[in-house]
Amino acid sequence: MDPKLKEVSQLFERFKAAFIRNDFDTCTKLLSQLKSLEAFHHYLKKRPMQIHELTIARDIYEHAVVLSVKIEDQDAFERDFFQLKPYYTDACSGRLPPSPQEYPILGLNLLRLLVQNRIAEFHTELELLSAPALENPCIKHAVELEQSFMEGAYNRVLSARQTVPHETYVYFMDLLAKTVRDEIAGCSEKAYDSLSINDARRMLLYSSDQELFEYIKEEHSEWEIKNGYVIFQRAKESAPCKEIPSLQLINQTLSYARELERIV
Amino acid sequence: MTQDVEMKDQAVPSDSVSSATPSPLQHLKEIASLIETGAYAREVRRIVRAIRLTMVLRRKLKASVLSAFLTSALVPGSEVHSRLSSYLPKEDDHDMEVDTATSATQAPVKHSLPELEIYCYLLVLIFLIDQKRYSEAKSCSSASITRLKNLNRRTVDVLAARLYFYYSLSYELTDDLAEIRGNLLSLHRIATLRHDELGQETLLNLLLRNYLHYNLYDQAEKLRSKAPRFEAHSNQQFCRYLFYLGKIRTIQLEYTDAKESLLQAARKAPVAALGFRVQCNKWAVIVRLLLGEIPERTVFMQKGMEKALRPYFELTNAVRIGDLELFKSVAEKFASIFTSDGTHNLIVRLRHNVIRTGLRNISISYSRISLADVAKKLRLDSSNPVADAESIVAKAIRDGAIDATLDHANGWMLSKETGDIYSTNEPQFAFNSRIAFCLNMHNEAVRALRFPPNSHKEKESAEKRRERQQQEQELAKHIAEEDDDDF
Repeated sequence: MDPKLKEVSQLFERFKAAFIRNDFDTCTKLLSQLKSLEAFHHYLKKRPMQIHELTIARDIYEHAVVLSVKIEDQDAFERDFFQLKPYYTDACSGRLPPSPQEYPILGLNLLRLLVQNRIAEFHTELELLSAPALENPCIKHAVELEQSFMEGAYNRVLSARQTVPHETYVYFMDLLAKTVRDEIAGCSEKAYDSLSINDARRMLLYSSDQELFEYIKEEHSEWEIKNGYVIFQRAKESAPCKEIPSLQLINQTLSYARELERIV
Repeated sequence: MTQDVEMKDQAVPSDSVSSATPSPLQHLKEIASLIETGAYAREVRRIVRAIRLTMVLRRKLKASVLSAFLTSALVPGSEVHSRLSSYLPKEDDHDMEVDTATSATQAPVKHSLPELEIYCYLLVLIFLIDQKRYSEAKSCSSASITRLKNLNRRTVDVLAARLYFYYSLSYELTDDLAEIRGNLLSLHRIATLRHDELGQETLLNLLLRNYLHYNLYDQAEKLRSKAPRFEAHSNQQFCRYLFYLGKIRTIQLEYTDAKESLLQAARKAPVAALGFRVQCNKWAVIVRLLLGEIPERTVFMQKGMEKALRPYFELTNAVRIGDLELFKSVAEKFASIFTSDGTHNLIVRLRHNVIRTGLRNISISYSRISLADVAKKLRLDSSNPVADAESIVAKAIRDGAIDATLDHANGWMLSKETGDIYSTNEPQFAFNSRIAFCLNMHNEAVRALRFPPNSHKEKESAEKRRERQQQEQELAKHIAEEDDDDF
């Protein structure tokens, strides 16, 4: 083993030790050292990486992703995940034995996209997964969440928190709960004329009326609270048109005339 | 010319295997001379025609015909000739004799044009693919691509575009598409630098196909959005582009745009391209379902497509009725077909449209219905169906799928009366978009009209034309020299 690689693996051992101790500051510091060493190392060599080098690199990024979840840094998660992804998808995956962490991390990424409401990317990632991958509990969890979310079965989304397949998922599930609350608020606003405070509190998942009032004040100041009821001000939709939109009509008619002239 | 005639006379009787009248070899020679004149006169149009004629001949190509043609078109004994003939099986001695005989008469006069050389590559490649000798096709196409990279002639571009296509096809048939991605990208770059628009168009499509083959939608979209776009040169390539674009947009949930691209692709595709149109229709059906539309029955009854579209027809039926159970059973029944079509994940997405349609039916039929009944009718199988039904209805109301209100205290859903649509601006918008569509269609049709060049002018005499061309060439030389001076 060449000295550089030895240095990397030693550093990585220290990193793992700190990781188990949950000493996140040391972890972050060691990680940035590791990353620069790794990148530099490969740049110098200019030859295809060996399998054990690949495995170490993949291991480092896998830990980096999990670390970013633990320190609750979504941007770092995205960055690290994109660095990790080639190790899963590209040609080297044929030579590399599959990682046990692969599906949990892919599922985690799906969950992140869901939380950030990036549904298009969610589906793009989903297309990359093979049929057996879709059967994996970690992936399935995220896929089912997305379905329930799209349908509007929010209860199912919330109850899914109890059945997380991996401890790291809890962070994103908590974030998801907040997204769900906003969704429920948006839906209730349109669907109900009014709700009793009790029902509203239960629906928006608050334990006390106080929290509910604060939420309403911050997010939906247009809602009215009267006689123990929350009253929603619903916008008047597509009222029968009283006025003729003359300017628009004139514009359209003129453009038809112009086009017709061109034809004749 | 006399030599050509002689050659034909010799070739026709010897070609007992494929003695269809007039012989393919004769055809090939005519095409070759078409390419020659095209190359000398720098008329791309002629070469396009040559390719079109070749495609007609495709089924009639035989090893003996090809090797005879190679000998007449290329310099025998040259590197290209020996390489290309090595791909062809020697069928019998009789043909060999003909080869040597013809080469003896041809060798001194011919010097092969790059266009002809590339054309020979193309012919051999098509032949190899038709014979299902894919590994040889791969090596042949790779050799031709290496040669192409060193050629920079506008008249080659048309032939090159076809070669790129078969290059990719030969790799796709052996399932090695990932291997040539880098090569295709560099070819695309070269084509862009040379302003070879047809080449760019073809290569972009091949790259998109390459990415989509591995479901790399992200990369495909990034390439597509950044590659230069211009007016389409070839209808076929444009159709393909639209189809890939439609697929990408479907995956990224831009259903309205996706539908437009897919339907346009299906409409523009030539009638003969049945497989392509079936694919377009499959995707279009799903996209329309995802949009909440129900495709008409005629879509599924198109000639030659009934069988292929059957699973999608049953799926549509399930969505139309809004029956979750039926939908599930259809999805399971045809799971293998959907997976091989790559539409499985899209069908998973459809589940929520089924619920929506069911809900819409309920809201139309009942003016007031309890949420428990809604849950029963939708067959929601969960631990707390009423609460689920309530939130699903709430979301449907917010998304505008149904027009209703919820009453939480009584636990029922109240449907609103549907208003008179003609009292709103809605019909006017609809008419406007239709008129705009028709006008646009007319404008595009006018733009697509083509006229033969210079047909309105007097016919130039041959002498005059030569003079003019000479002048043009001198001018070009001058310009080139000036360019050199600049450096």
